[in-house]
Amino acid sequence: MAQDPILVIGGGISGLTAAIEAAECGCEAVVVEKNAYLGGRVAQLNKYFPKLCPPLCGLEINYRRIKENPRLTFHTQAEVTSITASDGGYNVTIQVAPRFVNDKCVACDACAQACPSERSDDFNFGMSRTKAAYLPFDQAFPQKYVIDGASCKADCGRKCQEACKYGAIDMDMKPETLNLKVSAIVMATGWNPYDITRADNLGMGKVKNVINNMMMERLAAANGPTSGKILRPSDGKEPKKVAFVQCAGSRDENHLPYCSYICCLASLKHISYVKEQYPEAQATMFYIDVRTPGRYEKFYWKVRDMEGVTLTKGKVAKIYNAQGTDDPVVVIEDVLSGKKVEEQFDMVVLASGMEASQRTRPVPVSVSYTPEGMIIPSSLPPGIYASGTAKSPVDVAKSMQDATGIALKSIGKLLSSGGAN
Amino acid sequence: MSGTTILKPDLGFVNEVIRSGGESLKKCYQCATCSVVCNVTPEDKPFPRKEMLQAQWGLKDQLMKNPDIWLCHQCSDCTAYCPRGAKPGEVLGAIRKMSIKEFSAPGFMAKMVGQPKFLLVLFAIPVLLLLASGAGQTPAGPVAFGKPHGFLFSMYFIDPLFTAAALFALVSLGLGVRKYWKAMAADLPADQAAKINLGAAVKETVSEILAHRRFQKCETTKGRSTAHLLVFYSFIGLFITTILAFVKVILEPNTGYLAFLGHPVQIGESAITGLTVIFKIIGNASALALIAGIFLVMTNRFKNSKKAGVGSYYDWLFITIVAGLGITGLLAELLRISNIPAAYPTYVIHLCFVFFLFAYAPFSKMAHMFYRATAMVFARATGRG
Repeated sequence: MAQDPILVIGGGISGLTAAIEAAECGCEAVVVEKNAYLGGRVAQLNKYFPKLCPPLCGLEINYRRIKENPRLTFHTQAEVTSITASDGGYNVTIQVAPRFVNDKCVACDACAQACPSERSDDFNFGMSRTKAAYLPFDQAFPQKYVIDGASCKADCGRKCQEACKYGAIDMDMKPETLNLKVSAIVMATGWNPYDITRADNLGMGKVKNVINNMMMERLAAANGPTSGKILRPSDGKEPKKVAFVQCAGSRDENHLPYCSYICCLASLKHISYVKEQYPEAQATMFYIDVRTPGRYEKFYWKVRDMEGVTLTKGKVAKIYNAQGTDDPVVVIEDVLSGKKVEEQFDMVVLASGMEASQRTRPVPVSVSYTPEGMIIPSSLPPGIYASGTAKSPVDVAKSMQDATGIALKSIGKLLSSGGAN
Repeated sequence: MSGTTILKPDLGFVNEVIRSGGESLKKCYQCATCSVVCNVTPEDKPFPRKEMLQAQWGLKDQLMKNPDIWLCHQCSDCTAYCPRGAKPGEVLGAIRKMSIKEFSAPGFMAKMVGQPKFLLVLFAIPVLLLLASGAGQTPAGPVAFGKPHGFLFSMYFIDPLFTAAALFALVSLGLGVRKYWKAMAADLPADQAAKINLGAAVKETVSEILAHRRFQKCETTKGRSTAHLLVFYSFIGLFITTILAFVKVILEPNTGYLAFLGHPVQIGESAITGLTVIFKIIGNASALALIAGIFLVMTNRFKNSKKAGVGSYYDWLFITIVAGLGITGLLAELLRISNIPAAYPTYVIHLCFVFFLFAYAPFSKMAHMFYRATAMVFARATGRG
């Protein structure tokens, strides 16, 4: 029998989990993802908690579940532009941007090789460049190239059209508008790394070799800009002394007034990346308090006790470029010794916090936000649910648990408003 | 356990800091951002993080004998960058107010100056004294101040009154500064105490103050040092003016104090005129600088209020007195020159402000110049910069 699907906004780990769980229960689910690929922030990680395995392995299981399930459909490069209540459910409008590549694409890379234009690679936070015809990353799903319309100038499109043997390039693709009637909506809109250039004392964007924690994930990832070798951006030097700056924006009412939950662990994880590649390297983590929620305490002990690892209590509040070098210098007060210290490093990693996506990219629903920009679930209209980091900063495991529960709620809504088969 | 330190928190002190403009004190979570962004702190045991902790814990003794509370110039870089809105700059301001109260005797005066409910009483004292001297009457004839008899009020009453007020202030401040120095020096190891070169430290501190070198390191409240510099030099100018005017009233051939006491000096009319011209020039220039400076002080406060806080009653009382002093002084002069009798009441109000500034100096923010200079000398003498 006909049923209105569940709409999931966001194709990251939370959204995919909600959609797959619902679809595997027999419901129709539609995922709308603004990127050209599914997997969200998790796809950008090198390793993830709790088991520190490569996330693409977990994502691939999900991709397979998606491929095998006819009840789950998804739209990439798509955005929900309006949501109106209708007949117990919602009418939604979805804008899909043209990919300029159709389903015939076999990801052979011929178009990229022929492409004369380049673009900054946002998947790698601008640390590398791709052609205007590109695959977001090697295991991207869907495994289809994309042409960046903004970078593809003049007759640039013609060159890849000629190069493609499969007729997969379609430069005439137009933006599409889809109208859907849905029974329930899951907002799994996720998070962005806080734009820490806004903290003018931390040097991001001004001081060389100051990067954020997500950039560190990309540097360590095998499919990243340095093929997994951690090298500092300015000159490709192997960093032997790395500073990790906690609470870069988090727990700070000038920026994000809350704890972003996972950054301490992320930095400890990054220390383990550095030590794995450079056993002689020195790593110092500067913290206010080290916070390792739940079962993660043991990981903290393990990294803390590694040789060459120092944990210093004192928030970094000034970073500048050491004169005549590419080295950043961090300034702290070592709270335990009561000394103001300046220390030079090869590279500084700012543990920039999680900022809820809807803070910069609101979803067209009437909803109340906490002062921090998190969705207040009780303020959502009936049949609309929020999942994962849209509500509060969480790790992948918690996000997936939440999404599973949210899937059940949306199935309940669907059943009460007409019934699944 | 040997070596255990038992802390004795003074909860009353904590509450007083909170009441004195340090409302945000308890928000501090000791991240030490403040000490890092502070451009004027020494590197070793920097402020203001440790002061925030001492204040939260009610360690009054440690704060009172601490030179750092006065090395702080309330740039408010700490307040601007504080992730918790704990406003260390404002908290240290409150602690300084309490330090003044701690050391300036008699203590009840400090209490009165620190609390708005006593403001009327404090103003009533100069008003009553001036009225008792006949300041209520408007004399006939062209408007003129400062004649010995038969005018607004008797010079022979006003001058001793203000001299006494100034002397009282100086004695109180002197004793306070001595107490503060002793408190700071109490913990000094004997070998370090022996090494103190006071002369050099004073010299360096004076040169630093004259140039406002430390003050200029402020970032968030840039511009404050210029405003303060104007007010600072105008005070020096007005001090010189006062001295010269005093010399004049002592020496004047017919009406001066020496003549009054029966020992007139032989001094030419031209010398007196020359003296008058000099102090009038200095006085008027200083008055203009004072008004401009204090106006800048106020606008800076408003401009920076979002990042640095608006300041406490204590701050604003002092600013208002200085502004009132400058404005009424200039106004009285203009009215006098214009021969408008409203000059008299204006002058009386001006004298009230002068009295307020002098007599209450040990207890108002005016005392900051003495205690801060003392702390700066001590810090220099003990190698704390």
